[in-house]
Amino acid sequence: MSKETIKALPWFGLGKLIPFLKPYKKYVIIMICCGLMESVVDIVLPLFQKYALDHFVTGGTMDTVLGFVSLYVGVLLTMGICGFISTYCTSFVELYTAMDMRQAAFSHLQTLSFSYFNQNSVGYIHARIMSDTSRIGSLLSWSMMDGVWHLSYLIGAIAVMLSIHWKLALVVLILVPITAYLVSVFQRKLVGYHRRIREINSRITGNFNEGIVGAKTIKTLVVEDKIAADFKKDTGDMKRTTVRQAHIRGLFFSTTTFASSLALALVLWQGGLITREGVMLIGTLSMFMSYAQGMMEPIRWVVDAFSSLITAQVNIERLSGLLETESDVADRPEVIAKYGDTFHPKKENWEELSGDIEFKDVSFRYPDGEEYILEHFDLLIPKGSNVAIVGETGAGKSTLVNLVCRFFEPTDGVVLIDGRDARERSQLWLHSHIGYVLQSPHLFSGSVRDNLRYGKPDATDEEIWTALRRVSAEGVVERMEKGLDSEVGEGGDLLSTGEKQLLSFARAILADPRILVLDEATASIDTLTEAKIQYAIGEVIAGRTSLMIAHRLSTVRHADMILVVEDGKIIERGTHTELLKLKGKYYTLYNRQFEEESIDRIIR
Amino acid sequence: MKQQKYSTLGLILMFLKGSKKYFVLTVLSALGMTLTEMLPPQIIKFTVDSVIGNADPDLPQAMLAVLDKMGGVDAFRAHLWWSAVGVAVAALLSAVCRYGFRLYNTKASETLVESMRNRIFDHIQCLPFAWHMENQTGDIIQRCTSDVDMVRNFLSEQLTAVFRIVTLLTLSLWFMVQLNGTLTLVSVGMLTLVLLYSMFFHKQIGSGFAKADAKEGDLSAIAQENLTGVRVVRAFGREEYERQRFYECDKEYSALWMKLCIKLSTFWTSTSFISGMQVMMIVVLGAAFCVSGNMTAGAYIAFISYNAMLTWPVRQLGRMISEMSKAGVSIERIKHIMNSAAEQDKPEALTPPLDRDIIFDNVSFRYGNAKVLDSVSFTIKAGETLGILGSTGSGKSTLMYLLDRLYELPPEGGKITVGGVDIADIKAEHLRRHIGMVLQEPYLFSRTIEQNIGIAMEDADAEDIREAARAADLHESIEGFAAGYDTFVGERGVTLSGGQKQRTAIARMLLRPTPIMILDDSLSAVDTETDAHIRKALRRKTKGSTTILISHRITTLMQADQIIVLDKGRIIERGSHRELLEKNGVYRKIYDMQSRKEEADV
Repeated sequence: MSKETIKALPWFGLGKLIPFLKPYKKYVIIMICCGLMESVVDIVLPLFQKYALDHFVTGGTMDTVLGFVSLYVGVLLTMGICGFISTYCTSFVELYTAMDMRQAAFSHLQTLSFSYFNQNSVGYIHARIMSDTSRIGSLLSWSMMDGVWHLSYLIGAIAVMLSIHWKLALVVLILVPITAYLVSVFQRKLVGYHRRIREINSRITGNFNEGIVGAKTIKTLVVEDKIAADFKKDTGDMKRTTVRQAHIRGLFFSTTTFASSLALALVLWQGGLITREGVMLIGTLSMFMSYAQGMMEPIRWVVDAFSSLITAQVNIERLSGLLETESDVADRPEVIAKYGDTFHPKKENWEELSGDIEFKDVSFRYPDGEEYILEHFDLLIPKGSNVAIVGETGAGKSTLVNLVCRFFEPTDGVVLIDGRDARERSQLWLHSHIGYVLQSPHLFSGSVRDNLRYGKPDATDEEIWTALRRVSAEGVVERMEKGLDSEVGEGGDLLSTGEKQLLSFARAILADPRILVLDEATASIDTLTEAKIQYAIGEVIAGRTSLMIAHRLSTVRHADMILVVEDGKIIERGTHTELLKLKGKYYTLYNRQFEEESIDRIIR
Repeated sequence: MKQQKYSTLGLILMFLKGSKKYFVLTVLSALGMTLTEMLPPQIIKFTVDSVIGNADPDLPQAMLAVLDKMGGVDAFRAHLWWSAVGVAVAALLSAVCRYGFRLYNTKASETLVESMRNRIFDHIQCLPFAWHMENQTGDIIQRCTSDVDMVRNFLSEQLTAVFRIVTLLTLSLWFMVQLNGTLTLVSVGMLTLVLLYSMFFHKQIGSGFAKADAKEGDLSAIAQENLTGVRVVRAFGREEYERQRFYECDKEYSALWMKLCIKLSTFWTSTSFISGMQVMMIVVLGAAFCVSGNMTAGAYIAFISYNAMLTWPVRQLGRMISEMSKAGVSIERIKHIMNSAAEQDKPEALTPPLDRDIIFDNVSFRYGNAKVLDSVSFTIKAGETLGILGSTGSGKSTLMYLLDRLYELPPEGGKITVGGVDIADIKAEHLRRHIGMVLQEPYLFSRTIEQNIGIAMEDADAEDIREAARAADLHESIEGFAAGYDTFVGERGVTLSGGQKQRTAIARMLLRPTPIMILDDSLSAVDTETDAHIRKALRRKTKGSTTILISHRITTLMQADQIIVLDKGRIIERGSHRELLEKNGVYRKIYDMQSRKEEADV
C-alpha cells in the first residue's frame, strides 16, 4: 500500500534540492566551468580544419604547421584536462548529493512514528531511500551537465556561424526549432511508453512469482493452462507495447540524423554557391558542414535532459514528501531539552523506570482509521505482572503494545508509566527500558555478538554467556563455528526459527528491561525447542512487567490477566478461570488451541 | 510432454524460433544504414573537387557514364542543388534504414524475449512439485527475469550492435583506403590502440563494478532490515546505532563508486584525447598530402568525415566484447531450468473413472534421508469418508500429495490404486482433475475473489460462485468488503485472514465437485461452529464423493466411516470412531482430553 499524491511543483521541485547542493557549491561551479570550457573546445576544433583547408591546402604551403600542431595539441590537452575535471566533479556531486539525501531520509525515518510504517509498505519506503535518491543524484549532476554542455555547444556554434557568415548560418538555423519540436513530441510519447512498460514488467515478474510460489495449488487445481494463458497475455502485451515504443524511438533517432544530413545538404548547396563565387573559402564551407552536422545531436540531448527533469519530478516529490512527513509521536521541546532527542540522548537526566503501567480513560483510533478501537479504556498493570493478549490472527492484538511502547499515542486520555504521562519523558528513555521479542524474531546481519548486544552495546562476553545460559541458548552458539563471532546472515537467515527465537530471548535478557513485550510465535517448532522456548519465556518475564501476545496455552494460562481481542476491540478480560466460565470468545479460542496441542502431547 | 535435453546452442536456437526473420531484417537494415551513411562524404568530395572546384571527377566508370547522361559535371555546376538533393536523398534512405533497424531490432528482441519467457514459464508449470521444493523461489525468479534479460541483451542488442559496428568499420576503412592508404594506416593504428585499451579497461573494471554492486547490496540490506525490524530498533532505542551503521556503509559505497568514476573519467578523457590526436594527425598529414598534390581538398574533407564516424563506435566495441562473456553464465542458468525433467505420464496413460475404491498398499516414502511414511496400508471404499488424525510432521499431508501425484511414489515404495488401477499409470491431469484438494495453507492468486473461486472452472457462472461461497460460509464476509466479489486479494489488494483464505479454497473446491475430495486440515483456522456448518454443507454438496479429512479436531473426524491415527509415518490405530473409543488407546485419550478440556483446566 502506498499513498501517492503528486502535485506539480514549481521549477520541477528543484528548489527542494538546493539544500543538498549547497555543500557541493564549489564542485558544481567547477563542473559547469569545465563543461563550458569543453564545449568551447568542441566549437573551436572545426576552426582548425578550416585553417588547414584555407591556409595549407588552398594556400599550398605548410609554413605554419609547427605552430598549428602545438596549438592543436594544446587545445586537445585543455579538452582532456577539463573533461577529466568536469566528469570528476559531476560524479562527485552525483554520488555525494545522493549519499546525503539517503542519509537524511534514513535518519528521518528513525524518528517517524509507526503510522508512517503502517501506511507505507517496506518496499515503497525502501525505494524512496535507495532509488529515488540515486535518480535525483544523477539528475542533479549528469542531466545538468549534459544540459549545460550541449546547450552551450549549440549557442556557441550558432554564434560562430553567425559571425562568419550570417546568411548561411540562418539557412541552418531554420532546422533547429523544427528538429527541437519534433524531438520533444517524440520524447513525450516515449516517457509514456516507458512507464507502461515498467508496469507490465512488474506484472510479469509477479506472474513468475505466482507460477512458482503457487505451484502446488496450480497443480492440484489443474489450472496450468489458464495460468499460462494469462501469462502469455502479459508477455504479448509487453511485446506489443515495446514494439509501439520502438516505432517512436525509431522516429526519434531518425529525425535527428536526418536533420543533420539535411543541414549538411543545405550548407553544401547554399555554401557551395557562395564558395564558387569566391566569397567564401573551401575551409569555411567545410567548417559550416561540421557545425551543421554536429548541431542536431545536442538538440536531442537538451530535450533528453529536459525530459529527465520532468520524470524526476516524481522522485523529487516522493523524497521530499518523506523528508517533510512529520512524526505524529514527537517529543515536546521541553522534553527534548531535558532528555535529549533520538540521536543525542541526555542520559544523565534519565530517571529509573520501575514498570507500573496504567491506561486511564484511553480512547484510541489509528491515524489512518475512522473507527475507535478503544473507548474510555482503563487498565492497571502493576509492576511485575504478566498480561496475555489473545485473539485471532489479524484481530488487532498489537494495539495495546503499540500504546505502551508509545509507538502510537492515545487519541484521548493518558497512558501512565510509573504514574506519569508517558509523554512527559522522551521516547528513547521509555524504549531503553523496554525489551521486545518478536514472533518472527528479527536479527540483523552481523555477528551473534552484535545481535545480542543490540539492547546493551557495552555488554561483555561474560554477560552475554550468562544471558545465553539463562535461556539455555548457549548450545546454539557453541555449535556455531566461530562462537559469538559467527555471522547470522541477512535477517538471521543462517539460523533456524527456533534458534533465532532463543537468541532474541537472550538479547532481551541482556538488555534487562523493566517492561517486556513478547509476541509469541504461532508456528510450531519441534517439541524439544518448544520446551526450551517455554522455559526461556518463563526466565525472561520473571520479575518484569510483561505484555504478551500469546498463542500457547501454557503461556496464556499462567498470565495474571488475559485480554481477548476481536476486530481490534477488547471484548473480554479476566483470569483464565474467569474467562473459561464465561464460555465466550476465549473459550472458543482456547479449545481450538487445545485440540492441536492435545494430539502432539499425547502422541509424543 | 516430450523430454528434451538442450545443448547451449540448441537452447538458443529453440528460443530464436519465430524471431529469426526479424533478426535477418535487422541485419539488412543495419547494412543499408551503413551503406547510405557512406554516401554523403562521397557526394561532398565530388562537389567540392569537381563542382565547386575544377578537378576532373574521380569516379568509377559506371558512375561516370551516369554523370555523362545527366549532362556531365557542367550540369551539376549549373545546378548545385543537385548535390544537396543527393545528400538529402542519401540521408533520407539512411534515416529510413535507421528507423527499420530500430524497429526490427526491437521486434526481434521482443519476439525473442516473449518466446523465452513463455517457454520457460510453460516448462516451469510442467516441472514436478518435487522440483519446486528443491529450488528456491528467489533464485528461480532471478533466472526467469534478469538472466533472461541478459541473454536477450546479448542476442538482440550486443550482437546486432557489434555487427553494425563491424560493417561500419569495414566499409569506412574501405572507402578511406580508396581515398588515401597512408592516412588510413594512421587511422587504423590509432583505432586499434583505442580498441585494445577499451577492451582491457572494461575487462579490468568489471571487478570494481562487482564490488560496488555488492556494497550496494549491503547498503540496501541494512535499509531493508531497518525497515522490517523497525519495532526492534525502536523498542531497543538503537536509532543512533542504526544511523551510524547505515552512514558507514553508505560512505564505503560512495567511495567505491567514486573510485570507479575516477577510472571511468580517466578512460573517457584519455580515449577522447587519443581520438583527438588521431583527428589532428589526419588534418595535418592530409593537408601535407594536399599541398604535395597527392590528395584533393574534397578527398581530404571526405576522409575526415569517415574518420569521425569511427572513433565513438570503436570505444563501444571494446566494452561490448568484454561484456559478452556475462551472457554465457546466464544461458547456463536458464538451461538448468529448461533441462530439468518435466512431469511425465507413462506412454498410453489411462483415464479410468475415479469414483472407485482407493487402496494404499504398503506405501513408504522418504524425503532425502528422512523417512516420512513407513509401510502404510489402508482402503477407502468408494463414496466413504476417511479421517486422518496425527501430530505435526506425522506424514498426513504427504499421503495426500502422493495420491494427487504431487510426489511420485518410487517403485519400491508400494502402490496406490484407484479402482484397481495403479495411479502411476493414470494421466496426472486426469487424476488431479478428479481430485479436489484444499491445502492447509491455500494459495490465492492475485485476482478478485470471484476469479479465485472460479479459477478451476471454465466460464463459471456468478450465481454458482455465490452458491459455493455460501456453502463455504464465506458469502457474508465477501459482501462485507467494499468491492464485494470484485475485491482484489493478495499483494495488490486486501489481505484475507487465515480462516477466510481457507474458506475461499473450500468454495473453490465446492464449485467443481469431484469424485475424490481432500480437506487437508483446512478448517483449522475457523471456529468449531463454522467448522460444523461447513462440514454439513460439504456432505450435502459432495454426496457420493470419496472424502478424506485431515484434522486435529476429533469432532471434525468422528463421523468418518474410518479413521486412521498416524504417528511418525506409521498407522498406530484404525477403525470407526466407536471402535477407536472402545480400543481405549491414543485416540481415546485425545478424545477425552479434547472433550473434557474445560473441566481439566478449571
